[in-house]
Amino acid sequence: MKAPAPSARRHVQTLWSWLWIVLGVLYFVVPLIATFDFSLRAKKDVLTFLAYGRIFTDAAFWRTFSFSLQMAFFAIVVSILLVVPTAYWIRLKLPRLRPMVEFVSMLPFVVPAIVLVFGLIRVFSGPPFRLTNTFAGTNVLLVAGYVVLALPYTYRAVDTGLGAIDVRTLTEAAQSLGAGWGTIMFKIIFPNLRVAILSGAFLTLATVIGEYTLATFIVGNKAFGPYMSLIGQNRTYESSSLAIISFLLTWAFMGLIQIFNRGRAEGHLAGAR
Amino acid sequence: MSFLTLANISKTFGATVAVADFNLNIEKGEFVSFLGPSGCGKTTTLRMIAGFEMPSTGIITLDDMDITYQPPNQRNVGMVFQAYALFPNMTVAQNIGFGLQVRKTPPAEIQKRVEEMLALIHLEEFASRYPYQMSGGQQQRVALARALAIQPRVLLLDEPLSALDAKIRVELRLEIRRIQQTLGITTVYVTHDQEEALSLSDRVVVMSRGHMEQVGTPYEIYNYPTTEFVASFVGQLNLLPIANLDRTARSCTLAGQPVHFEHSTDRPISDTPRLAIRPEEFWLGDGQGRNLLRGRVETLIFLGAIIRVRVDIGDGVLISADLFNARSLNLPRVGDEVLVSFPVHACWLI
Repeated sequence: MKAPAPSARRHVQTLWSWLWIVLGVLYFVVPLIATFDFSLRAKKDVLTFLAYGRIFTDAAFWRTFSFSLQMAFFAIVVSILLVVPTAYWIRLKLPRLRPMVEFVSMLPFVVPAIVLVFGLIRVFSGPPFRLTNTFAGTNVLLVAGYVVLALPYTYRAVDTGLGAIDVRTLTEAAQSLGAGWGTIMFKIIFPNLRVAILSGAFLTLATVIGEYTLATFIVGNKAFGPYMSLIGQNRTYESSSLAIISFLLTWAFMGLIQIFNRGRAEGHLAGAR
Repeated sequence: MSFLTLANISKTFGATVAVADFNLNIEKGEFVSFLGPSGCGKTTTLRMIAGFEMPSTGIITLDDMDITYQPPNQRNVGMVFQAYALFPNMTVAQNIGFGLQVRKTPPAEIQKRVEEMLALIHLEEFASRYPYQMSGGQQQRVALARALAIQPRVLLLDEPLSALDAKIRVELRLEIRRIQQTLGITTVYVTHDQEEALSLSDRVVVMSRGHMEQVGTPYEIYNYPTTEFVASFVGQLNLLPIANLDRTARSCTLAGQPVHFEHSTDRPISDTPRLAIRPEEFWLGDGQGRNLLRGRVETLIFLGAIIRVRVDIGDGVLISADLFNARSLNLPRVGDEVLVSFPVHACWLI
């Protein structure tokens, strides 16, 4: 039998590629469209943003959302202060430990959040660190839990950023010019990891904003995750609109990462003339 | 006492000896190069002077002060790296001024010094550019200016030209020497490029396997190598097997043909001595001293200014002779019978 001509084979391959792309898009987009459509049907036979209006006028929405934003902010700050020097030191002085640290940073993917939260409550409900008895204590515990939960994202982002710069030579250059460790960290390392840190921060923000398990068991309904769950149980259309809002928020964070990354890439291309 | 002294310096990494028994005195304003192949310990020695590595034994003194265990940021030693190591987040001016900023120098003084440095490297108009907007050669000039801005006691350069293309390398080499002589700064330069070391330095330290092989002026290193390693590493060298060695008459045979030499008796000779001759010492035809060899041209290699003629003189012994590619040169063809002559003072035993 005669084999098909190269142009015909390419045509078939293109068709297959498009088929898989369309299937993939449908798989992801159809549920979203359905959810969005459902969120607009709070009034019978009318498409309306009523459910969104109710959400945005709900004081609990703003209260829980701002609480989770604050928790995310602190989690990001603690993560950066913890992860950047650690990853830097590992790259500079202890490169042999890198595989081990990478493994540890991946543990939050393996250990379920429910196990983590019970472990935290068990350890920190008694002496010497009795944190579960006060609001401030539970907030601290929640931030600590979020730092652990976000570790895979922050460590990976920072480590990749460090891989893109010659950490050892830059450090030695700064040292030869008289810089101490503080100057090296805050004037050389942090500024050159700006994009990596921002990526890690936005990923942490996206993770923390909708997080349910840790928040429920540590601070209850104060956080945005449990609020979304509560709405889902009691108010049908509002829960769909909330799902869409949280999707939009996550996409916005991802978009910001892309914008920052693109800005940097364009800068370098401009310089390559 | 010398300005920079390395006394009995050694460095081991586990069981590996990187540098052994290294002794060197460098005078103020001197330009000294460490020359050797990869892994000979030259960069390790430089890093010990910079303070990035601590010696396993020995003492380093700079301007009569023991700096052996002093942290690198307290040594006031400028360093230029092969990979430029400019801070990507800073402009050229900020890079040059960084060391002064660390020293809390007043801003007006920093600006003045940065302008001086930019003028020194002829990059005045590049002050507000970022490193990624500059070529490799320009970046390395900035790195040099940055190292010099702090007025270091010693300037250390770790293969600074290796990442650059050949033309820029030669240009920047001249620039480095000019700046060094203008400022009179004591400089230690690491390279594996013999041409760089010979053209730049007041003295060259040839290193091999962690040891100093020879220290001397470029002229001494090239013309009077004391070891086989130096003779073969620096420049091209014919190392030819000999027979019938007569030390008294200072003669031997080379592929059955008699050869006379003026070998200094104070130089050590190995148990199986060989005759060493630089390719440029040969002359085609009769007319350059007592030694005359007969052979057949095997290959001709054009190297631009030089033509390398490889001549088989019998018994499988090949000699390389470098001839200047002058228009008047009467070049033989491959397979031609030729006479090759060289003066008695041009060869020595190793």
